Amino acid sequence: MGVEPKTPQVPAMEQDVLMSQVNDDNMNERGFVVANIDKVVNFARTSSLWPMTFGLACCAVEMIHAYMPRYDLDRFGVVPRPSPRQSDVIIVAGTLTNKMAPAFRKVYDQMSEPRWVISMGSCANGGGYYHYSYAVVRGCDRVVPVDVYVPGCPPTAEALVYGVLQLQKKIKRTGTLFR
Amino acid sequence: MDTALNELKEIVIDALGSSVLDSQLANDELSIVINRDDVPRVLKYLRDDVNCQFKLLLDICGVDYPEREERFDVVYNLLSLVHNRRIRVKTRTAGDPVPSATEIFSTAGWFERECWDMYGVPFLGNPDLRRILTDYGFEGHPLRKDFPLSGFVEIRYDDEKKRVVYEPTKLTQDFRSFDFLSPWDGQEPLLPGDEKAEGEGA
Amino acid sequence: MSQNQIKNMTLNFGPQHPAAHGVLRMVLEMDGEIIDRADPHIGLLHRGTEKLIENKTYQQSTPYFDRLDYVAPQNQEHAFVLAAEKLLGVEVPERAQYIRVLYCEIGRILNHILNVASYAMDVGAMTPMLWSFEDREHLMEFCERVCGARMHMNYFRIGGVARDLPDGLTDDILAWTEKFPQMITDMETLLTENRIFKQRTVDVAVVSAEQAYDWGFTGPNLRASGIAWDLRKSQPYDAYAKMDFDVPVGKNGDCYDRYLCRMMEMRESLKIIRQSILEMPEGPIKSTDRRVCPPSREEMKTSMEGLIHHFKLMTEGVNVPAGETYTAVEAPKGEFAVYLVSDGTNKPYRCKIRAPGFAHLQAMDMMCEGHMLADAVAVIGSIDVVFGEIDR
Repeated sequence: MGVEPKTPQVPAMEQDVLMSQVNDDNMNERGFVVANIDKVVNFARTSSLWPMTFGLACCAVEMIHAYMPRYDLDRFGVVPRPSPRQSDVIIVAGTLTNKMAPAFRKVYDQMSEPRWVISMGSCANGGGYYHYSYAVVRGCDRVVPVDVYVPGCPPTAEALVYGVLQLQKKIKRTGTLFR
Repeated sequence: MDTALNELKEIVIDALGSSVLDSQLANDELSIVINRDDVPRVLKYLRDDVNCQFKLLLDICGVDYPEREERFDVVYNLLSLVHNRRIRVKTRTAGDPVPSATEIFSTAGWFERECWDMYGVPFLGNPDLRRILTDYGFEGHPLRKDFPLSGFVEIRYDDEKKRVVYEPTKLTQDFRSFDFLSPWDGQEPLLPGDEKAEGEGA
Repeated sequence: MSQNQIKNMTLNFGPQHPAAHGVLRMVLEMDGEIIDRADPHIGLLHRGTEKLIENKTYQQSTPYFDRLDYVAPQNQEHAFVLAAEKLLGVEVPERAQYIRVLYCEIGRILNHILNVASYAMDVGAMTPMLWSFEDREHLMEFCERVCGARMHMNYFRIGGVARDLPDGLTDDILAWTEKFPQMITDMETLLTENRIFKQRTVDVAVVSAEQAYDWGFTGPNLRASGIAWDLRKSQPYDAYAKMDFDVPVGKNGDCYDRYLCRMMEMRESLKIIRQSILEMPEGPIKSTDRRVCPPSREEMKTSMEGLIHHFKLMTEGVNVPAGETYTAVEAPKGEFAVYLVSDGTNKPYRCKIRAPGFAHLQAMDMMCEGHMLADAVAVIGSIDVVFGEIDR
């Protein structure tokens, strides 16, 4: 017959009777919890956003400070991953130059869906201090679609943490199971 | 400090003779202008001679003076640790090749590449003369005075072609460059009414 | 047996790489695990700083220097400001000199902490980074208290510094200097005698004195190869001539010596910080030369002349007399210099930035040859390069 199960199994006919007694009012007492799948999935997605380390220039130092013990991002479930295949979000920290743009797009394409982009610092937002230069992409949104812009030059580590929390709110608000 | 530099200037001009076209001592800094072809000889002398011993080549850069015939200046900055002195060696070129200094100082390699990239001054004998700072297919030499600040092309990702493309530069807001020199001298254009004052009236 | 053609494998290292310290693309020709040739491709962070500086006034171009070596921003500003002051012939008041020295040394410690901690992380030790970045936060707090910005301070101005130190800041810095040596000791306990760290760094990328001269090394890299040369001692600027500190010099010129040089330099910097605070005189923090320094805010808001003076200086800027200068400072990474050519107007005619990392990275080929791929990572960390200043 096989292994004897440890918990007492209710035979099938009795299970049917039990299930028919469950209705909207006594669901919780009967041991059932109902949730919206979208919300559960969004909760899972926001609580463990893994960004890719894409530090280009000065904002990278503030990004590192955001991972360090004072403005710990790890407590939000945010762990930096070096590989695009293993990350959900890419934080573009620093100036995106013309020479770097193809490599950046390639890395973005290698990320798997669902993926988000946080543009950190004024250089990534719109070219910033180097907007009029011949060798700078005037904002990383010319190359990838951006979800959250974090302003500052550089944004303080606290501002980046705020930006990550804003992204979490955005995912909770607009995230769907199927993209 | 000044006398030591003066002495050094005399020694260097004596030893190098006709290579030195000009020399200048200003702000406690000595700089000499030499012939383009004599660059390796002069740098070797400055590195090896007992009175000089400028063992560290710190910097090679270019400067663009478009009004001049030989519009580019190539400037070498050297440092002597033994004597604790600096010297600047300059040459002029209109775009003609300058002999490379890589035989004498290995560090010159990248500095010359950068000068080539930014100004278009070729260096004869540099083992690896190609673009270093600008983009891989970049055309033009950015630091020349006739190259515009925002360049000719800019980048955008094209969803149809699925790659990054270059397009002619189109700025949504132009670079605001104000000419703040004093209004009392050299203001162009004249204020309305000034022509009348210049021309017929007074 | 047929003759097989053996070709070296070309490996692309970067530009996106966790250990690349920024954007570095190195094309490595490998013979198995041994590197035959290393060709660094830079320019992935080339932002056109020098061209932009030619189109802006002196006051507007000072922040560009902050963004070059972004781990120790103040030291770069210092070079530019010294160059402009040399051409102008402006005397900087003593208090401003001491404040500048104080913040330069704070920058030096900021840089060395980041370098040692991320170097340790690159070779595998994660803890020093987490421990020591808290001190970086303290230092950035000091920067913020004086000028409002944690990182890019824009604090050094032509003629002095922007604002005076607020009350209580010097006491807090002194209190911090009491506690910091313990942190250095902690890091040394973790790394200096560590078998694994030593195996990864001793005798890796040995640079002899001759090679160091040839390849234009400066700063701790030069000192680790045995050459005692420090611009703060040999060509002192600002208040360094009055400071009492030692300069550590290495023996072998390998990665381990470079690491040790930086650790010891941190302790020396603490001495300088203490001395500059204890000996700081009272007085103005900006030169009284009217051509160069704007009036105080009170004067600007109450008197008409003050307002016009402020307006002229903020819009037209400073008219620097024609001339050229090559001014170097001992930045934490090496000799950072500015070759400034002025044509008499309010905008620099040519401003060449000589970054120490440029010369050091060029020597990668020489240093990595014969070593293995993992050593390339160790070498990049130990020569202390940052792409903001290399690519400008």
